[in-house]
Amino acid sequence: MTKKTRRNIYRTARLTAFYIFVSGVTIAMLLPLYFIVSLSFLSTREAYRYPLPLLPALNVEYKLTHGERGYLLSVYDPIDKEYQTVLDTGDLEKMSVYMKSQLGAPMSVPEIEQQIARLEHEAPVFFTRRKSLLYNYETFFKVAGTGQAVPALIRSLEICAMTIAISLTIGGMAGYAFARYTFRGRDALKFSVLFVRMFPGVAIAMPMVIILVNMGFYDAPIGLSLVYSVGSIALTIWITASIFMGIPVSLEEAAQVFGATKIQAFLRVTLPLSLPGLAACAMYAFLGAWNETVAAIILTQFNPTFSVVVYQTVLGAVGQVNLAAAGGMVMALPAVIFTFFIRRYIHQMWGGVTV
Amino acid sequence: MTKKQWKKLGEQAVPYLLILPVVVYYAAFWLRPVLISVIGSFTDAAGHLTLQNFAMVIHDEAFIPALRNTAVIVLFSVTLEFFVALFLALLINRKFVGASFFLFLAMIPMALPSAAAGAMWITGLTAHGWINSLLHYLGFLAKGKSIYWLAGSETSLLALLIVVDAWQVIPSVMIILLAGLQNIPEEMQEAGYVFGGNYLTVLRKITLPLLKPTIQTAVILRLISAIQIWLIVVILLGFSRLPVLVERIVYYHKEVRGLDISYQMAMGYTIIVAVIVSLVSLAYLQVSGAFKKERGEVA
Amino acid sequence: MKKYTSLLMLAAIMMGILAACAPKTVTVTVEVPVERTIEVPVERTVEVPVEQTVEVPVESKTLVFSSRLFSPPREQEFFINEVIKPFEEEHGVTVNFQILDDDTLLERAKIQQETGHVTTDIICAHNGKMPDWIDAGYVEDLSSYVNSWSDRHFSPAFQADTNRGDKQYFLPVGADVYLLLANNKALPYLPEGVDLDHITWEQYAQWAVNIAEGEGEGKVCITGIPMKSWIYMFGGSALSYGAGFPDANSSEAMQAWKIWETIGKANGFVPTVLNIDSCVDPMMREEAWLTVFHNARAGQVYASNETQFTLAPAPSGPAGIGSIAGVSGYAIMKGAPNHDLAVQFLEYLTRPDIQVKISKGTGGFIPPVQEALDYLGNEPIDEVISKAILVLDNGVVSGVPAYKYQDWGAVKQCFDDVFEDTILPGKDVTQDRLDQAQQCVDDLLK
Repeated sequence: MTKKTRRNIYRTARLTAFYIFVSGVTIAMLLPLYFIVSLSFLSTREAYRYPLPLLPALNVEYKLTHGERGYLLSVYDPIDKEYQTVLDTGDLEKMSVYMKSQLGAPMSVPEIEQQIARLEHEAPVFFTRRKSLLYNYETFFKVAGTGQAVPALIRSLEICAMTIAISLTIGGMAGYAFARYTFRGRDALKFSVLFVRMFPGVAIAMPMVIILVNMGFYDAPIGLSLVYSVGSIALTIWITASIFMGIPVSLEEAAQVFGATKIQAFLRVTLPLSLPGLAACAMYAFLGAWNETVAAIILTQFNPTFSVVVYQTVLGAVGQVNLAAAGGMVMALPAVIFTFFIRRYIHQMWGGVTV
Repeated sequence: MTKKQWKKLGEQAVPYLLILPVVVYYAAFWLRPVLISVIGSFTDAAGHLTLQNFAMVIHDEAFIPALRNTAVIVLFSVTLEFFVALFLALLINRKFVGASFFLFLAMIPMALPSAAAGAMWITGLTAHGWINSLLHYLGFLAKGKSIYWLAGSETSLLALLIVVDAWQVIPSVMIILLAGLQNIPEEMQEAGYVFGGNYLTVLRKITLPLLKPTIQTAVILRLISAIQIWLIVVILLGFSRLPVLVERIVYYHKEVRGLDISYQMAMGYTIIVAVIVSLVSLAYLQVSGAFKKERGEVA
Repeated sequence: MKKYTSLLMLAAIMMGILAACAPKTVTVTVEVPVERTIEVPVERTVEVPVEQTVEVPVESKTLVFSSRLFSPPREQEFFINEVIKPFEEEHGVTVNFQILDDDTLLERAKIQQETGHVTTDIICAHNGKMPDWIDAGYVEDLSSYVNSWSDRHFSPAFQADTNRGDKQYFLPVGADVYLLLANNKALPYLPEGVDLDHITWEQYAQWAVNIAEGEGEGKVCITGIPMKSWIYMFGGSALSYGAGFPDANSSEAMQAWKIWETIGKANGFVPTVLNIDSCVDPMMREEAWLTVFHNARAGQVYASNETQFTLAPAPSGPAGIGSIAGVSGYAIMKGAPNHDLAVQFLEYLTRPDIQVKISKGTGGFIPPVQEALDYLGNEPIDEVISKAILVLDNGVVSGVPAYKYQDWGAVKQCFDDVFEDTILPGKDVTQDRLDQAQQCVDDLLK
């Protein structure tokens, strides 16, 4: 074995170990997430089994016999490996609804009647139906009302965009001032900005909302982004200030030496370098605005945000944790997509600064 | 005044002009409710000026437990979250193939709305939940047996809360640290290696000192929100079971708001929390040298 | 570098546009009716301009209805499709139905009333909150309409909450009592000779003890999270012994506490009882096997697998079957923008046949209209409703006198504390402890 191949083997082994480690960390992080996602695809019956199925079943295997009240329906349980009774009724309409809502594998009344006809020659009768995996999501959108959910989604994205715009401009300006200038009262001002986040928001949410209603912002998206910006501006100031501080002033000065104006120097040098920090701020602002419900419920009526629609749909989902999970996923998806795009700016490859 | 003097004055005004929008914004939307609640905290039910509200809060039998629980949670969760977040940020900053995707996966927990996170932990921690199911499949738990995660002692509940909270919060600390790390020119670290430093020395002597302002920001922001933890506590345990400070505000503000003393208690707790958070933050910034360093650097 | 800058610029421009658009969208929503009234005559020639302009806004009328009831998604779906839709089609209007919890409902009403910006027409609140609504003056007196409807008489059981003096503010809907729900796995432990339809509290306790001994852990569900339903669960047992409600320390109440003490001493409660805020999930997961709770929720669990669960009236005591009864009620907001339409809608909703339809479609609430009982049939869902009516009619039933207290949640906690510090740890219930609990309740009187 040459020295080179040995080094190669050593390198490969190290790399493998590294990736095994990274995968381990990833699995530990995402394990809880896996279960809530999987829960959103389970039927109500599956969602309350113990142990909980690791994967949603694709089919439901039915067994039908004569029962005390009419027909006795059983389904196969893949974990206990046996058929378990679920319903005894003569009301086929009810059986059809049950198959849809509790088991997620619907059959129409005529289809059930067909199976019952078979029951005259052989008992029990076995049959299999494909489970509708997206049943919870369908129910969610049916209850929320597609006509309401989609505009609410767009409205929420609008609110998030406005919140990001307000926080980044107002907060970023102040952050730059705190990082680059010396002036009287700087530390005190910077600290008092932070006080906005120190003061428990729950105690002042309502009075704040009343102020906005009195200013005519009731049921208007801009009103909500004004509320949400209060917290994220403070955050933005501190994050951008620390990021701007980390960027050497000399870089900007160098640019000015080469004939750039102060503003050009800022736009061409400092701003791109601070992009990861700004992206992190945007992420905070987005998530804060996206997930908020308390103020949104009070401040909207005909123009609810998406979080309010989800809240109203799953509020009473006791005994339907799978449906609540589906609602949570619908809520989380746009935020995850946003995260997917923003990550490129948080983690930019260092290209070397050219002036 | 000469043109030069005007120009100097203009330059001096620049930082104030940059800050002006923030001041106006807060004055318009935030200041009034805060002043109202500050006044409320010094007023009794009849409208007279008093300090009695604070006495009532301090004599509240849940106050000392709330203070203690909050302190424990803050101490352990901020420490835990900071080190794990720093570790993850350093890992991602190594820019291995797939680092960017790993970052995306690591950020997902913070994107989860609290209602979904609540449902996730409730269905996980209940006796017939997915955590026990998983242990069952892996063979750690015999059939018919369960671990009662949420029925333990106060200490184990606190530990559980810290872990559950950390799961969701670590990404948000991580991205600030990562953003800071991105700004450190690689040449500086390379220089460290050239002079014979190993990874840990470079980290300690070069990377971390350069990261200091970002670390201070990440820790102070985390500290402030950690002291105000309440939602996950209430989602998992309900009100009053394991009191924490802000949970008490919400409790008096929403849950038992009909009591004659509810408003006074809520406002009393609010101001006490605000004071505690400010003092802790000030102490942290002082100890970590944030003020000193800024002055030094500027001078 | 250029790429990033341009991207950022692009983003900034986009945000700017969005921000600029935002106020516009607001004004647009306001302008819509105006634009429509202008457009219609133009498009449809000049013949009937006057009628058209009048009719169009009437047709697009939207009734806003915020409710605490029917919150489970399946109930929402039913209520919207089977109850609201026929009304919308008949009257050519839209009903904007929203689910909100009681506190948010009240809070939003407060803001609407205080700012004079009333947009909600109808609300549906729980009877525990009705006094708050009436006290605050947010709802209208509906007596004159109620008196003009001759085809329906509301159950008198809830008048204390829905009426104030001779004025009726709320129209009751979806009443509830407590029923016994058992997982069939618990049936083998039923003490010998017990008839489930006539079970007593002593037998219930013995049953719970048998299960705990046989299974090695308790299976009785109550809500151990503070300020949920324990006060009602205990209250039902106390009423069965002739105690009042809320009554913690009378000798009758003591007898009821002894039942729970027996269960506690045998570790008869599910080990996770302190984390339970509703018995629906633990019963469905089969963590718990036995409980006495809210009939609509019991009906919901029962419906999830009728072959797995058994439903019975609540256990009885010397005084009969005791149960707390609750109800929700519709009311019209003061200053409602569509007042007349709201009255029409409430007339429709409280018709006896519609009340029964609602009860059947939503898992077994009791229709609180006397005439409604004629519309019940023999289907399995009627079993749930009829057992509930049995308890409501023949039992010792009490409402929730929340209005007498500063805060009802705090009263609940007085009882929650006894459970947590005495019953659950299996200690003896002492008169001292109960007197202390009663003191806690009495201190909260207004």
